[in-house]
Amino acid sequence: MKPGLPERDDNPCRPRHFRPAACAPAPLEGPAKQALETSHTRLIIAGALFCLAFLVIGARLVEVAGFKGGETRLARLHVAERPEVARADIVDRNGVLLATTLDSPSLYADPKLIKDPEAVAQKLAALLPDVGESEIAARLAADRSFVWIKRQLTPSQEFEVNRLGIPGLQFQTEGRRVYPKGNLAAHVVGYADLDGKGLAGIERGFDDILRDRHEPVELSLDVRVQYILRDEIARQVAEFSAIGGMGIVMDVTSGEVVAMVSLPDFDPNTPGSANEETIFDRATLGTYEMGSTFKIFNTAMALDDGIATLSSSYDATNPIRIGRFVIHDDHAQRRWLTVPEIFEYSSNIGSAKMAIEAGTDRQKDFLGRLGLLKAPSFELPEIGAPLVPSPWRPINTMTIAFGHGLSVSPLQMATAVSAVVNGGILRRATLIKRPAGYAPSGQQVLSPRTSEEMRRLLRLVVERGTGKLANAPGYLVGGKTGTAEKVTGGRYERHGLLSSFIGVFPITEPRYLVMVSIDEPQGTRESHGFATGGWVAAPAVGRVVARMAPLMGIPPVDEDSPEIRRSLLVDSLSPQGRKIAAN
Amino acid sequence: MMRFSTLLWALLVGVSGYAMFQVKYEVVQLEDQLTRLNRQIAADQEQIRVLGAEWSFLNQPARLEQLAKRYLTLGPIGPQQIGRIEQLPWRSPLPPAAAAAAAPPSASSQLMAAPRLANARSGLLQ
Repeated sequence: MKPGLPERDDNPCRPRHFRPAACAPAPLEGPAKQALETSHTRLIIAGALFCLAFLVIGARLVEVAGFKGGETRLARLHVAERPEVARADIVDRNGVLLATTLDSPSLYADPKLIKDPEAVAQKLAALLPDVGESEIAARLAADRSFVWIKRQLTPSQEFEVNRLGIPGLQFQTEGRRVYPKGNLAAHVVGYADLDGKGLAGIERGFDDILRDRHEPVELSLDVRVQYILRDEIARQVAEFSAIGGMGIVMDVTSGEVVAMVSLPDFDPNTPGSANEETIFDRATLGTYEMGSTFKIFNTAMALDDGIATLSSSYDATNPIRIGRFVIHDDHAQRRWLTVPEIFEYSSNIGSAKMAIEAGTDRQKDFLGRLGLLKAPSFELPEIGAPLVPSPWRPINTMTIAFGHGLSVSPLQMATAVSAVVNGGILRRATLIKRPAGYAPSGQQVLSPRTSEEMRRLLRLVVERGTGKLANAPGYLVGGKTGTAEKVTGGRYERHGLLSSFIGVFPITEPRYLVMVSIDEPQGTRESHGFATGGWVAAPAVGRVVARMAPLMGIPPVDEDSPEIRRSLLVDSLSPQGRKIAAN
Repeated sequence: MMRFSTLLWALLVGVSGYAMFQVKYEVVQLEDQLTRLNRQIAADQEQIRVLGAEWSFLNQPARLEQLAKRYLTLGPIGPQQIGRIEQLPWRSPLPPAAAAAAAPPSASSQLMAAPRLANARSGLLQ
């Protein structure tokens, strides 16, 4: 309290605490009052701001304590310290690893830090045999600060390089694609390049998914069956000095491809060593005239459209001559044959006559329904489109009846035959595992009754026709042989054959289809010089069935039990019936 | 009064400051530990991948077949080796005379039944 001060003070900048406390507050007037009001307003605004800030903090406190909002985000920040996610694995239907990504060190150098490039190159070349010494020296002499020496070293090479202790050499970890099963499923799995880009097979077809996903991609393949199929095909290829072979095992109830082989094949771990011949997928990309196996479709068409019944018969006494073409039989019987006999003896003449009776339009429509006239949709990028005759003349109708003049891929063949035997439902072939017991929807392309009759006919071929060697006791194999002459330069070659067998088992309730084709087999002494489907491919199918059935849980049955005999009976085969038909 | 509240606030500031630094250092330490653990997890996962690849490589069917041929006396399963439980006979039927002898339930007949059962079993095995 300083009495000497004047009552009025015009200076608004004067510090507040110099002001005398009013014992008896004097009413303020003019500028002083204004200043007080201004400060009052400012105080309220500042207070309100602080209140707001405290409210926000309080709300945040409740959120963090009560709902755990921010903490997880913080924790995830730390977990995501390794953002480079590896390309997803590929596994088979039982979870067996087919392709994975492993960290692998790649060696690079900073040439500016390397004092003596010659000596370093010499030391490195001794450790890395596949890179030349001069090449390393040239790279180290470059006027840059980064050069690759070698990508994707083995762990022991990394250790050795580290032991040299040369400054300027550095490692960078890169993901390296590894295929532990090697050649086994090379064409299905495919391969990826050094930068993890899929170049073939599932690696290419599923490239985006493999990049983005972390769970493995499950294929429908079964490695065990794949091995059995490859083993048996390789055996036939070697035994008959063939140039190649292919095969498919398909689950006819779901369209899943359980095994798919194309020989010769390659090791996807070293795709550089593959050439055009080995990298070509015969099972999906190659299209072939399949030969007599097409009689499955021809007969099914005639039965399904009511053109013929199992007791109809056709005159197969003489070869058919049309212009410069002659259609004759390989197992000529020279008499009238019933439909089952045409199938059993694989009569070209009988089949051609059946097809002519059905007509071109009907044949085109039926084959189209089975998906044999356009490229199938499939998970692999290597898909061959069929070669369809244009125009489709009557002579084409006749030759297509026994599998010449229309080229399809083995995959299409397997898909279509599955539809014929599984009750008439065509399902898309797939390489991706379906849940057990799940049968995807398909199109009904022929009646269940025709399918049942076709199964009896297929069994007949194995029981006493051209496919006896495909029999696997107890597993009721049914199937059809096929021997096609390959076209080279527009001419059919007598000795360039494609010998196939398509088998289905157990024929009473088909579950698996096994198809084997051998490319250009040569007859041997054991086969009496024959290189036909019945001698070359049928035994392989029989052995595949015998080996895979116990693995897949297919119980063997007594083939001579009366129920099975009855269910497989083909009624029109009594000798009397044959005579009546022949008259 | 004034002095007491000032002291109290100063004390509170001191305590909270200490607590804050304490918590902060603890968090730094925990973060270090987390990073270490994450690195360890990543290394372990990579190790698992390597071992998985090696397992798959060593289990190549061709290799297993060779090993089985060399070390095992097993062959592929034939259809005659697979049966169903319904195919088993219920019980080997006793000859009628033996069945009549076995009819009175006595200790001696039970004793005699034992070798008969053994015979029946060996017959089944043949």
